[in-house]
Amino acid sequence: MDERFSGFGAFILYSITAGMMLFILAPLLLVMAASVSDSYFVTFPPQGFTLKWYAKVLQDRDFLEAMRLSILLALGTTVGSLLFGVPAAFALVRGHFVGLAAIKGFLLSPLIFPALITGLALLQVLNKLGSTDARLNLLIGHIVVTSPYVIRTVVTSLQLVDENLEDAARTLGASRLRTFWRVTLPQIASGVAAGGLFAFMVSFDNYPVTMWLANSEYSPVPLVLMRQLVNVFDPSVPAMSTIIILMAMVGVLILEKLVGLRRALAA
Amino acid sequence: MTTSDEAVAVLTVEAPPVARERSRWRLALPVGLLAVPMLAFLTYFFFYPALALLFSSIQTQDSRGIIGRPFTLAHYARLINVELYARVLWTTLRISIITSALATVLAYPVALVMVKSRPMVTRVITLIVIAPLIVSVVVRGYGWQLVLQNGPKGMLNWILMTLHVVDAPISVLYTETAVVIGSLHVFFPMMVLPLASALGKIDPNLEDAARMLGAPWWKVFLRVTLPLSMPGFVAGFTLVFSLTAGSFVIPAILGGASAVMLGNLIEQQIFVVYDWPFGAAIAVVLVGLVLAVNGVSMWLLEGRRLRRPD
Repeated sequence: MDERFSGFGAFILYSITAGMMLFILAPLLLVMAASVSDSYFVTFPPQGFTLKWYAKVLQDRDFLEAMRLSILLALGTTVGSLLFGVPAAFALVRGHFVGLAAIKGFLLSPLIFPALITGLALLQVLNKLGSTDARLNLLIGHIVVTSPYVIRTVVTSLQLVDENLEDAARTLGASRLRTFWRVTLPQIASGVAAGGLFAFMVSFDNYPVTMWLANSEYSPVPLVLMRQLVNVFDPSVPAMSTIIILMAMVGVLILEKLVGLRRALAA
Repeated sequence: MTTSDEAVAVLTVEAPPVARERSRWRLALPVGLLAVPMLAFLTYFFFYPALALLFSSIQTQDSRGIIGRPFTLAHYARLINVELYARVLWTTLRISIITSALATVLAYPVALVMVKSRPMVTRVITLIVIAPLIVSVVVRGYGWQLVLQNGPKGMLNWILMTLHVVDAPISVLYTETAVVIGSLHVFFPMMVLPLASALGKIDPNLEDAARMLGAPWWKVFLRVTLPLSMPGFVAGFTLVFSLTAGSFVIPAILGGASAVMLGNLIEQQIFVVYDWPFGAAIAVVLVGLVLAVNGVSMWLLEGRRLRRPD
């Protein structure tokens, strides 16, 4: 290990770090273990091995319908937040107008505003407008909370674009649009993809906004899962949860490949 | 410099900036216009709803459920004066403060190891810290429900009893402690990431110098590392506090009836009691709390007190 840590200080540092790694992984590992456990009630240590809960989940109409709805909603949210967010990020990086910092602050403000309140506020206004289509309401709410993520990742990648390359393309006779498609876009593609994936994952997992805007007909996955947890005892919940954990892991790996996780999160 | 040199210089060095400057001026308006759809969308579906919520928090609701005049501050008074509601406010503050304090104490070692270890160790720790962040909060709450399960079949109780730490199962689930544990799990990365980035910016020579002058490790940490990492600490603390104070899922799953937080109270007022103005007033208090903490931290970060002499 590093020579900068030694003696008792190092012992404390590594013990706490190891402890925290265990703390972070324990509940997720237990959920996964419970999903293949043979007993009807979740007990520790887990007993036996079975895949029957997965078979049950894959035949569960409510869960499958929620899954379909969540995926469609997340896809719509991704497209919507990219359509709004990418041009806005462009304006923020390339525009030269007064109040740029204020506008940036405004566009990113849904990030520090509690999402629970964003959803509530939106519900009140949509009620007043008489908008009762839960799908549309959810889409609007999800775009509000995911667009700052897109703006952040696209702004970061745009700042790294070499404007000289664009000038070169323009000098050689390319139109603005062609320059954008052939020179700029390829350079920010991974940032745009990461922003989109972020929007997808945030939308798929979103509870605090979804809670207000969904109805009994259109309940995305987090809501259905919460309902199963709080209201009825259902031994297939660990299996549903594990499916969600695995999906998240795939998302994380793609994100890590695209831009690196730390950069994607801490931009 | 000859004339031809000058011509070359003008062509290769000065011409592009001039051209770019001009095209920028011409482009300023169209490029700025690209932000208009996003601005319009957020104004209509975020800014306006937030203001409308603020407005309805000072309105009254009649027996038919119609919200309107007269204007009143009674809902705010109710939150503070009715003991049941005041207790929820204090519970929220207490859980948020304890969670962010615990997150700070536990995140420093993790962030330090993350920043100063070999690349392989750093990578593994980063992945473990960040990966669960993407897993649904509901799933993570459920995981803790399984770990903390009251009775001898819960993981925590099984471990404690097998190690003979306790003789009878302890009850952690459905207490404030359970909510703190769950919130810590969910928001821990928000503390580690800013801390790690602040620690990574510290010049290692400063710590080496202190060590060479004979300071023991804890003194190096307290006098050099800790003060220089303050921006990361402030950012992380603010994030964890804000997110915990505004959370709903974790107290709903792990707190039960004994650790109701503001978010749960709002949901109850809107969906169960249908008291919109009171629900809105609680929401405004929650937002006020979060914005106040964010404001103080901005002030600390932007004021000179925390800035490193670069």
